[in-house]
This record gives sequence, structure tokens and C-alpha cells, in this order.
Amino acid sequence: MLRFFAVRLLRALITIALVVTFAFIVLRVSGDPALEIMSVDAPPEAIAAFRKAWGLDAPLWIQYARYLLAILHGDLGQSMRDGREAVVVVAERIPATLELTVPALLFSLAVGIPAGVYAALQRNSRTDRAVMVAAIAGFTVPSFVFGLLLVLVFSIRLGWLPSGGIGGLGHCILPIVTLGVGGAAVLARFARGAMLEVLGQPYIRAGSARGLPWRRVIVSHALPNAAIPTLTIVGFMVGNLIAGAVLVENVFSWPGLGRLLVVSVVSRDLAVVQCILLLIAAVMIGANVTVDLLYGVLDPRIRTAPLCAGAGRC
Amino acid sequence: MTVPLLKAERLVRRYGVRHGFFGRKSTVHAVDDVSLTIRRGETLALVGESGCGKSTTGRLLIGLEPADAGAISFDGTVLPMPHEPGWRSSRARMQMVFQDPLAALDRHLTIREQIREPLDIHRFGSPSERAERVAALLSAVGLGTDHATRYPHELSGGQRQRAVLARALAPRPDLIVCDEPMSALDVSIQAQIINLLADLQAELGTAMLFISHDLRAVRQVSHRVAVMYLGRIVEEGPPDEVFGAPLHPYTQALVSAIPHPRRRRTERILLPGDPPNPMNRPKGCAFHPRCPIAGSACKLQLPALEPVKESRSVACHAVHGTTGGPAIRRLA
Amino acid sequence: MLNASHEGAAPPRSAARTAIPPLVVAAVVWLALMLAIALLADVLAPYDYAALDLHHRLSPPAGLGGTVLHPLGTDELGRDVLSRLIASIRMSLLIAFEATCLGAVLGIALGLLAAHFRRWAEQIVLAFVDFQASMPFLILALAVLAFFGNSLALFIALLGLHGWERYARITRVLAISAGAQGYAIAARQLGAEPWRLYIRHVLPNIASSLIVTLTLAFPEVILLECGLSFLGLGVQPPQTSLGNMVGYGRDYLTRAPWILIAPSLVIALSTMSVCLIGDCLRDRMDKALQ
Repeated sequence: MLRFFAVRLLRALITIALVVTFAFIVLRVSGDPALEIMSVDAPPEAIAAFRKAWGLDAPLWIQYARYLLAILHGDLGQSMRDGREAVVVVAERIPATLELTVPALLFSLAVGIPAGVYAALQRNSRTDRAVMVAAIAGFTVPSFVFGLLLVLVFSIRLGWLPSGGIGGLGHCILPIVTLGVGGAAVLARFARGAMLEVLGQPYIRAGSARGLPWRRVIVSHALPNAAIPTLTIVGFMVGNLIAGAVLVENVFSWPGLGRLLVVSVVSRDLAVVQCILLLIAAVMIGANVTVDLLYGVLDPRIRTAPLCAGAGRC
Repeated sequence: MTVPLLKAERLVRRYGVRHGFFGRKSTVHAVDDVSLTIRRGETLALVGESGCGKSTTGRLLIGLEPADAGAISFDGTVLPMPHEPGWRSSRARMQMVFQDPLAALDRHLTIREQIREPLDIHRFGSPSERAERVAALLSAVGLGTDHATRYPHELSGGQRQRAVLARALAPRPDLIVCDEPMSALDVSIQAQIINLLADLQAELGTAMLFISHDLRAVRQVSHRVAVMYLGRIVEEGPPDEVFGAPLHPYTQALVSAIPHPRRRRTERILLPGDPPNPMNRPKGCAFHPRCPIAGSACKLQLPALEPVKESRSVACHAVHGTTGGPAIRRLA
Repeated sequence: MLNASHEGAAPPRSAARTAIPPLVVAAVVWLALMLAIALLADVLAPYDYAALDLHHRLSPPAGLGGTVLHPLGTDELGRDVLSRLIASIRMSLLIAFEATCLGAVLGIALGLLAAHFRRWAEQIVLAFVDFQASMPFLILALAVLAFFGNSLALFIALLGLHGWERYARITRVLAISAGAQGYAIAARQLGAEPWRLYIRHVLPNIASSLIVTLTLAFPEVILLECGLSFLGLGVQPPQTSLGNMVGYGRDYLTRAPWILIAPSLVIALSTMSVCLIGDCLRDRMDKALQ
């Protein structure tokens, strides 16, 4: 078990190192940021001065070493657009993104799991089929298409909700629903599958054969067992949530990390893009490791499995 | 005396086995101190229970896996090991016929393509010569031209094994290793394949290592036979002598298990104890826990394979008179 | 109630489901239609996708007050939405097709390398697989695209990187297990070179699993292309793709929603269709395995 986590952690570290290197390669080698920022017809002395100021005149490997050293010190450089610390620029956008992603995740859980469980209990009924088709629609329709259609209906036709920007509760509803609907669909499909699997187990049939009320069989036996695989998939949804946030924030002009990323990419603001890449990688890797841990905590069989194998046959 | 085609000396093959994730490692001696020679045109049979290391020996002898110790020379030169230069080209000179012909054939290629493959790999002659050779091989193993365009699953088990045999013979090898070539076939087909092997061997003069636990088939095809038990050769000699007058108690048990019309059932020797487990090899003579005549030396000292007369050797303290225990009962 | 819901929960496996559900049939028809449109784009499109009709700017679709000349309406420059839609379908499918093939070739090659050399080569490939899986691809793509510019070839190459890790992972596992199969052992002992072993023997034997993965990855590449083009970082005007059209239509959401609705529906229906078919195939495979 310890060995398992050590290996897992080592892999995570290697992955972070790769992300860091990737950010460096892509952002430094691909173009000359001096020309981008300064415009082509800037005087050569100004460009040279700019290069010197940002350390762009040194050989690449020195730039890379400096870059690694700086990252180890938590210094991710300054935004080339407004000269502030990139970390600060990025950090001030985090709350807005969290305001969007956390409620969206809760929305996914609150809608997806009950829908999936209900569909499983009514298997092959009309409700089941309707839920499943809706779920397929939910995770195949891209979020920007869904968001724009929502805007079209609720903002433009009905005029009920604002079409974008940040503000009161009203501004949150459309982005949150747009971002959460994909996750809800995935969860509904997954919860239904997990529930059906549990309902097929002998102990459920034994429970109802013993004469326990069906409702009690479901609540105290089926649901907890179906919850284990369902909860762990939440960790895997983090990636989709982040990618979705980039699109949704752009659809609704939401001033979060996703908007910042696109704007920084368009204006080639190296430090900020690096910072966001590292942040996202860290979150993703953290989520994956958490899922592994969660598996161990929630499901004792998985916790003991490696030990079991270690003891030989059992 | 001429140089033997294949000469293997003191081959050892160990496998590391790990018991689970954290478990300690232990080693299994699949092949332990095996020396063999095969002369040109000779058929050597290797017999023994499953798990005794006879298939591993077969793979070692034609260089399909490296030995951990020992030396193999083929036609007077050192046999290249996998990943060594010259290994791939050496494949044309030694070929293998597998136990399960369906598994050994690629189900996406026709029989003709598969028989032709070794010719393509080793660049035998011109394309038209290769086609002629395939046709000749097909008729040599008793397959018709209509079989050539079929896929493996469209053939019967016997036909598949004929195709595998044709593929093995295609590059005109000096040595063929047949690893239990009939065990996946119906009994009625087994006889046909055995006859085919014997005929082809006599006709082409290809040397053969015939691995089997079917003693009657062995007796039919082989010129010499070696009996293996837990990775070691315990007895070796001409099949008529080995099976007619077995010296090693294990060989005696094997021979007594052959169904025989005139013998009463009670004469069959039933070995006591568990079947051998290569993970837990007994000290001394590996056979002693099951041996009816084991003496005190058998539990301590490994008997060496030593000649008892010309062309006949055996590894048994009882035969060599070094048991140091009760008198020999059975061998009198 | 008790009985009814219990039976609803665990019904006996019925043979009634062997018939193809009508929704799946509809999905197949829709995809066939899309493919036909992509292939026959030049014949089907009433106008050139870039042709301007300044007399009919922002004309609504026929039946909603627009002219019959432009059945799906026009955009701000008077370009025919139907023609643009047809061109976009072709562009999006073409990009997705090329990118999927590229990703498959790359992934399969790396997977085979890992399976053949094992040890360090395998570890390097697996580290890259981890890296790729550690980030939402959209974000990696965003970073790369903006800095390497916007040529179409580069865009396709970048999309090709999406999903390679899945092929690599599957190919590696399948090739390792195939390498232990009788036919591969037999081929190796015949003296076959590695390329012959993998191309002629192993690949055809593992192809079916790879093709399933390929079909499932295809809509993801379409979605990625649409997303990036929507953000303005994919297909660049004057060329057009489905995502590009949605992005453009967004600016006219109030005045001319039809510009956006047509490509949105095509994207939604196409990806849904692939998913429905994929689900159906998987169910059948599961059943075949039981």
C-alpha cells in the first residue's frame, strides 16, 4: 500500500516536472515575445532593452535553469502586460472561477445522482429512457453551444436572466447550469450503472427476500454501495470542469481564470499562461491522487488488495 | 567420429518467481544441469511429466530463450542467443513445431502466406521459386492446393498441424523441435501426424527433438530417448532398451503406466506422494520422496547421470550401488 | 409496488432488445447524411461559402420572413448560411478525420515501441501518457496554438496529439499480450524482423479494439476543434468550420440567431449520434462477452 502511494506520488512529481518543462518549451521557444509585445516597428534598442530586462537574451538553457530556480522560489515572473506579479494576477481570478466551478459541481451532484438512481430504480421505463437520452444530450452537446442556446432563450427571448458578466445571483445561474450540465449527465449515467450493478447483487435480493421493505433495502443497502464508485468518479470530472470553465467563462464574459487564460494566450503574456498551466496541472494531479486515496478509504477491498497479493494466495 | 549437430553442456535455466507484491523472490530451476547431444538426422525424444522442464529444454536448445549457465554449440559453432547478431538468420536452420497449431498460426493470414513466410524472411530464391517450394511443401505434408487459400480456422486440427509442419520445414532446417505436437489433436489424428513425422524425418534426414509424454509415439519416432524429472535428465538410452528394461525407478513407473493388453492392472506402479513441484525441489535426488527404493544417500546427495553401459546412462544411486540404504528390490 | 419496482430493477435479460432501437437508426442515418454532405459539399452548396449577397444581409431563414434564395438565411455580410454550413461540415469532418488518423498513427507507433523495448522506452512513453492525461487537452492546445500561430496544417497536427495517449496505452497493453500469443512466438522463432512481427501479425490481430477506440475518439476531436475555433484560436476566417460559425454567430445572437442555431444543431446532433451508436455497440459487445 505504501509502495503503491510512493509510486503514485513519484509519477505525479514527474508529471509536474514535464508540465513545467512543457510550459517553458512552448512559451519560450515558439516565438519572440519581445516582438509580440513591442510591435515589429519598435526601435531595435528598445527591443534589446526589453530582452535584457526579461532575460530573453541569455542562452536557452540558462533561461531554463533560471526558470526552474524561480519556480522553486515560488516566483513565476511578472505579467508582461501590466507588470504585476503573475501569481497575483492569477490569484485574483481564482475566486471568480471557484464561484463558478464549485456551484457547478454541486449542481452536477444534486441533479445527476438522483436522476441516475431514479432511472435505475425505474429501469427500462419511459422515465429511464428519457433520463438517459437527456444524459447523452447533456454530455455530448458542447458547453459553448448549450450556453449560447440558454442565452438565446432565457436572456434574449424571455429576458429573464442577464446574458453575461458578473453581478448578482441572476448572473450566476446560466453559467453554473451550463458548466454543471455536462457533469450531471456523466454522473447520471454512472450512478445508474453503479446502482443497477448493486441491485443485481445477491445481498440486495436476499434483503428483499427476507421481507425487508424495498425502500429500506434501497436506502440502507443499495445506495451506500453504489455511492463508492460514483463518488470516486467526481475526481475524474475535475478535468472536464476546468476545460469547461475556459469555454463557459468566455461565453458569459465571466472574469475568471478561463477568460484570463484566453486573453493572456492571445496577447502572449508568458508568465501568466505558465502560472495558469502550473495551477491547473497541480489541481488535476491533486485530484487524481485524491481519487486514489479516496478509493482506499471508501473501499476496504482496494485498501487490502495489494497487501493481500503480497501475502501470496488468499 | 563427426561433430554432433547440437551439443549442449550443463544447461541451467532459472526463473525468478515473486510471491505477490511485497513477497520474497524465489527461484525455480526449470532446467538444471542438462547435457545433451543430437547427431545429424537423429531423433532424440525428451519425455517426462508436464512441468518437468522438457519444453524449456527444447526452447533453450534452439536458442529461443537464453540459458543462465551452460554452453550450446550448433554445427560446431556457438549458438547465438536472442538479441545477439546472427540470431535471426540462425532461425532458418532450426525450427519449432508447437503444441497447439491453432495458436501457432496467425488467423488473419492464409495457409499459403504462412508457409511462405519463413521463405520471405530468409530470402529463399526468387518469388516464383518460393511459390514452387510452398506447393512442394503442401504436398509433402499431405495438404491439397485447395487448403492453401484457406484460413487456419477453416482447417481441421490435423490439417493445421500439417501446415505448421510445412512452415517449419520450409527453410530446410537442420533441426526441428516438436513440442508435444500431438497433444492438442484427436487420438485418431495423432497416429497420422506421428507417421507423417517419422516419414518426413526418414526422407529429409532432418534431426529432431521430439518432446512428448506419449511413450508409444516416442518409441515409434525416436532413435534415442531422455527421461526428465524436475529439470534433470534421469535416464538416457535407445528407446527399446529404456522402455524395455527401465533402470531408473521413475522410468519404471512411467513405463508401467503404458496400457498394455497382456499385463494385469495390478502391475502398474503407482507413485506415492504429491506430483513434483518445481518451486519446492526436494534435497538430494529430487525423486526420493516418491521413490519406492530410496535409501539414506538419496535424501542427501544428488545422483549424477553416469553411463551404465554403452549408449545408456542413468542418474540413480540404486543403479550405481551407492544408495547406502536398504537393498534394491525391484532391480534384481 | 414492491414487486413492480423490484422487477423493474432487475428484469431478466430479454431477447426483445436485440432489435436496433429507433434512436440508434436515426443516429446512423444522421451520420450518413453528414458524411454525404461532406463528400458532396461542392455539388450541394447553392453558393460559394464566401460569396457576398449585399442585398440580403442578415436575412432570416425562409419561412421566418426570409427569401427562398437563402433557405437558412444569411449573415451580416449576406453570405448564405446553408452554403457556409455545408462548407463547415466538410471542414470540421476533414480536420477531425485527419487529426484522428494522425493521433492513431502516433499513439500506435509509440505503444508498439513501448511494448517492443519495454524498460526505459516504456517508462518514457508512460511518463508522456501521464503528462497528457494530467491536463485537459483544451488547455494544452490553447497554449500551443496561440504561440505557434494559426496555420491549418499545424492546427490539425495539434488536434492529432489529442487522444494519442489512449491509443498508445491500449496498443501497448494489447501488443504485450499479443507478443505472448502463439502466433507471435511462432513468427519470432521463424526469424521475423520486429517490423514484420508487428505490422503483419500483431496489428491485424489487435485492430478491432483500436478501431473501436478510434470511433469513440472521433467526436471528441470534433468537439475540440469546435471549441478552439469558437474561441477564435482554431480555423481562421475566411475559412469556416462549425465552431468558427458558432463563434461568429455569437456576435449576432440578438439580431440573427439563425447564424448560430444551424451549426449548433449540427454539432449537437452529430456528437449525440456517435455517442448513441457507441453505447449501442458497447452494449452488444458486453452481451457478446457474457
